[in-house]
Amino acid sequence: MTGESGLVPRLQFLARVVRKECTHLALTDQRLFGVETTGSKFTLAHAKQLELDHDLAERVEAFVGRFSRLQDTLGDKLLPLLLSALGEKHSAMIDSLDRAERLGLLTSAEQWMTMRNLRNQMIHEYVEDPLILTNALQTGHAFVPSLLSAGTKMLAEIDKRGWT
Amino acid sequence: MRLTEDQIAFIRKSAFDLAGAGTRVRLFGSRLDDNAKGGDVDVMLELPTPIENPALLSATLSARISRALHGRKVDVLLSAPNLMRLPIHDVAFRDGQLL
Repeated sequence: MTGESGLVPRLQFLARVVRKECTHLALTDQRLFGVETTGSKFTLAHAKQLELDHDLAERVEAFVGRFSRLQDTLGDKLLPLLLSALGEKHSAMIDSLDRAERLGLLTSAEQWMTMRNLRNQMIHEYVEDPLILTNALQTGHAFVPSLLSAGTKMLAEIDKRGWT
Repeated sequence: MRLTEDQIAFIRKSAFDLAGAGTRVRLFGSRLDDNAKGGDVDVMLELPTPIENPALLSATLSARISRALHGRKVDVLLSAPNLMRLPIHDVAFRDGQLL
């Protein structure tokens, strides 16, 4: 840990945010993809229904928003701070992701960037082909465990170092 | 065309690895302009058969190429028999160059 003041309180704050964001993503993931809503699979029929089914559209919106926020908090805020606390030199995002992969904080840098790219394809007002929207949401759902696991690992690292 | 031979080879290999050897790869957008600088890389894949996971394919390919280009933004557009044809596809077919 460097002697930089304010690093620990900032890490603690972000750790609290990440805990909440993980809980909220897991909840909305269940509410959108759970058996009672979409029969556990979001299909092309659901995508085509989005203009008419406002409840479903709001669940999609919540899922995409929470998925995106958690990934941004982890990748753009917590990870750079954590790497800095671990004594790693400040570097470009792509190098930070490679470092995080080597430290076992996330599954792979390429997968992280894939998740980032996928988000643009989950916006139903913007993606005109419902087949692409459907596949983007299904894939986003499949990536949720990986995103949550990155959160858990970064929090565990903070705990392990006694910065909580 | 503002891509090196190594970059073109990497883009082609990545596209074939992820989408199959029958794929055609086309570059369009600002990278075709030799007088421009920097800028995103716009690529269209032409797939001969229907694609099952289009969003995952374009997100993964874009991530792989972007990493090789040191974080440069890469957009991957797909053309396949089961996907909609939008105005952006017309632009890519009209102006794009096969890699």
